[in-house]
Amino acid sequence: MGIAGGRVAHGSFGEIGYLAPILLFVLLFALLPVAILFERGWIDGGGAGMFYDTVWREATNRIALFNSLEQGALSAAIAFALGYPAGVFLARYTFPGRATARSFLLLPFLLPTVVVVIGILDLFGPGGWISSAVPVLSWFGEGVPGIVLANLVFNVPLVVLYTALGCESASGDLEESARTLGATPARVYRDVWAGPSLVGASVGVVLTFVFSALAFASPIMICGPRCYTLEAQVYALSSTFLQPTAASLLALAAVLILLVPIVGYVVLANRLKHRDSRGPIRPRPLSRSGWIGRSLAAEATLVFAGIAAVLITVLGRSISPVDGGGFGAGWSDLVSARTTATLGVPIARVIVNTFGFALFAAAATFVLVLLAALALRSRPRWEGGISAYLFLPLLVSPVLLAFSLAEFWRPILGGETTVWILIGISQAILALPFALQSLRVPLAGLSPAPSEAARTLGASRWTAFWDADVPRIGSGIVTAGLFAFAIGLGEFTATYFLYVPSFTTLSVAVYTLQRERFTDATAGAAALLLVVSLVVFAAVVWAGRTRGRHRA
Amino acid sequence: MRDPLLRVERLDAIVDGLSVLDGIDLDLGPGEFLALMGPNGSGKTTLLRCIAGLEWPTAGRISLLGRDITRLPAHRRGIGLLLSEPALFPNRSVLENVAYAPLVQRVSDSEARRIATDALGEVRLEGFEDRPGYALSMGERQRVALARAIAARPQVILLDEPFAAIDPEVRGELRGDFRRALSARGISAIHVTHDREEGLFLGDRVAVMLDGRIRALGTPTELLAVPGSAAVARFLGFNVLPSGDQVVAVDPSDTQFVDAAEGLLSAEMLASGAVGRESVGIARGRSGERIEARGHLEQRWPAVGASVGVRWTNPKVLSPGRPDRTDASPKVR
Repeated sequence: MGIAGGRVAHGSFGEIGYLAPILLFVLLFALLPVAILFERGWIDGGGAGMFYDTVWREATNRIALFNSLEQGALSAAIAFALGYPAGVFLARYTFPGRATARSFLLLPFLLPTVVVVIGILDLFGPGGWISSAVPVLSWFGEGVPGIVLANLVFNVPLVVLYTALGCESASGDLEESARTLGATPARVYRDVWAGPSLVGASVGVVLTFVFSALAFASPIMICGPRCYTLEAQVYALSSTFLQPTAASLLALAAVLILLVPIVGYVVLANRLKHRDSRGPIRPRPLSRSGWIGRSLAAEATLVFAGIAAVLITVLGRSISPVDGGGFGAGWSDLVSARTTATLGVPIARVIVNTFGFALFAAAATFVLVLLAALALRSRPRWEGGISAYLFLPLLVSPVLLAFSLAEFWRPILGGETTVWILIGISQAILALPFALQSLRVPLAGLSPAPSEAARTLGASRWTAFWDADVPRIGSGIVTAGLFAFAIGLGEFTATYFLYVPSFTTLSVAVYTLQRERFTDATAGAAALLLVVSLVVFAAVVWAGRTRGRHRA
Repeated sequence: MRDPLLRVERLDAIVDGLSVLDGIDLDLGPGEFLALMGPNGSGKTTLLRCIAGLEWPTAGRISLLGRDITRLPAHRRGIGLLLSEPALFPNRSVLENVAYAPLVQRVSDSEARRIATDALGEVRLEGFEDRPGYALSMGERQRVALARAIAARPQVILLDEPFAAIDPEVRGELRGDFRRALSARGISAIHVTHDREEGLFLGDRVAVMLDGRIRALGTPTELLAVPGSAAVARFLGFNVLPSGDQVVAVDPSDTQFVDAAEGLLSAEMLASGAVGRESVGIARGRSGERIEARGHLEQRWPAVGASVGVRWTNPKVLSPGRPDRTDASPKVR
């Protein structure tokens, strides 16, 4: 085997065959339905004039647009203020528990949105632990402040993570050279690592803006219609007001508006990826730092403690009485007749549904990502194009995805009994970009030598991949599957759009119980979902560390 | 030696729980060029980083012109550092890179420009002022890095394997230019390398570091004449051979492989071939030691696997002393 023009020489189109399933999956279950939805909306709605009328002249839609921009901008600004110092601290200092703190940053990717919203309400909402003690702080349990606070729980870790990556992309050799040339720490910051760290933080800030502008669970659970984002308004138009044309035009507007920050994200992330980082920065021990290091440490501790407090509250509420029940009322109410009546199915069925969909998403993602890895392994030059293609589902918000799947596939598949397929597919589509991301790093660092040696010893392409490559990227593939499983477990938006009572999942159950003000059962369901998510999170971290050991 | 410019006393450093520097004592005179040699992992770079102020030792003292700088931040020491990676500012021109230190020292723009232009002249890079750093070859970038360090007007420059990433044909020229530029300014230097030819060629004095300790220190001539311990002799490329009750160091060019019956030692021939403009034969002694002999290119060696005798001339008797941790003969497999 030899290298020809940058690709590993092969004599067949086998790689295209390995890639076809993932390409077709995204095409058939994301891009095509969305394109057809937009096309129908545009034609049925009467084109550009109707587009303008729907998006701008209809007051509720205009308010949703303003809400999206307001909540996105506020969340992004505060996430930067809180996340940047903590990111700098994580990248530039060593301290006991640093690896655990880094792992903790993955949690927002896996944390169910409804759990966080319940945690915020348990702390600051009516009867919340903090709002009961300090009533003035109940301000954070309602309206925009509450929504922004919920957004921050997810997104501050994102800014922390990307800031740390930005800091680490600066050249350690350049920093040390500047120091020995007489540059003060402030000058070294300005000349060497301010740029990369701010590029990193900007990636996190842009993502925060996009995720917050498209938030769904927090506006509908904390505030209601007056705070609806574009995402929530699309849902309301399509499901509540039964105006699919207006909903599809508004969804198109959301995609177009958010295209700018998303392109910005791609540009910034690319800049971050291609920085010259020869000679990595060498973090210094916290014990040797001055007041700056200690201040950063204190700020980072507050950020992590704040997030942990939300999660601990969810667990605490499930065992402390709220509605007058006894110790552990949250858990015992889960199996009560009232809960079953409210949800339409017993909680055991809800749990089976939740795991079933998550397993479906994980299995589909695992197979698709494994095949994609095999293809990219042989054709590394395709990686950029394939990644860009698989990034496209990120442009499709969960409501838009569910809406388009329902419009396109439900008539083809038939009645309600096939809804489970669409729920599983939507969860797999939403997990794919993240799952593939977890494979990019191990794939990028994979030496072709063992697999080439296997081929020269007579192994087929598949055997060489299985024997030589999979052991080295196996934990990456497992992480991808676990990621998909975790995202499926907590996915709320698309599932809520598509579900019928017999296919209720835990996150939908949490929302339904909260809407019906069944407080203890809500706490129990949220705690159950959190515990399961934390177990999967621990498995993801474990798989990641195993990968680290293999690479070492 | 005149009064030392830089003095390192009883320096210890522990990194990740391992003792990396163990009681280092070292003086550097004004204008002196000291080559600090040793194998990978011997602690050379850690010593340099402690002197530069990039790492703090766990014990000991570093002084510059009698002033204790052990805990002084790197930017206040007046000690320059050059790494194997030139680490130029990516978005600045050559002149802006070299003028960096004068500008940090708040001299005027015109004065900074003059200092930078002079420094570029010292490293023979006139006419490169406006080029971006990325457009230069590795050797040119390393010259810019030296000019940048010189422009900071340091009293000492630390060179951490600056030629490691340079092509061999450019390396020789660069060595001479670096040495000349530093001498012209009277700047003292500590040059870290694991390349013994480079260290012996460049150093006014040579220090050999093994296992975090300086095992030998002297001029190249002194060191080659009296390698001291077996470990140092082995690092300097000598064969370390038993001779009666003594252990001797023998230069490979003073070593011969002869008939088994005629040798002072018996050995088994392992390999032979040309290295540069010489021919090299390698054998394994009875106790596993590696024995190398060098001759002219036409030299004929015994066949691989043959039993041979080893003879030598000009042996240097090694001090018996306490055995070094690295004194165990490397076994040839």
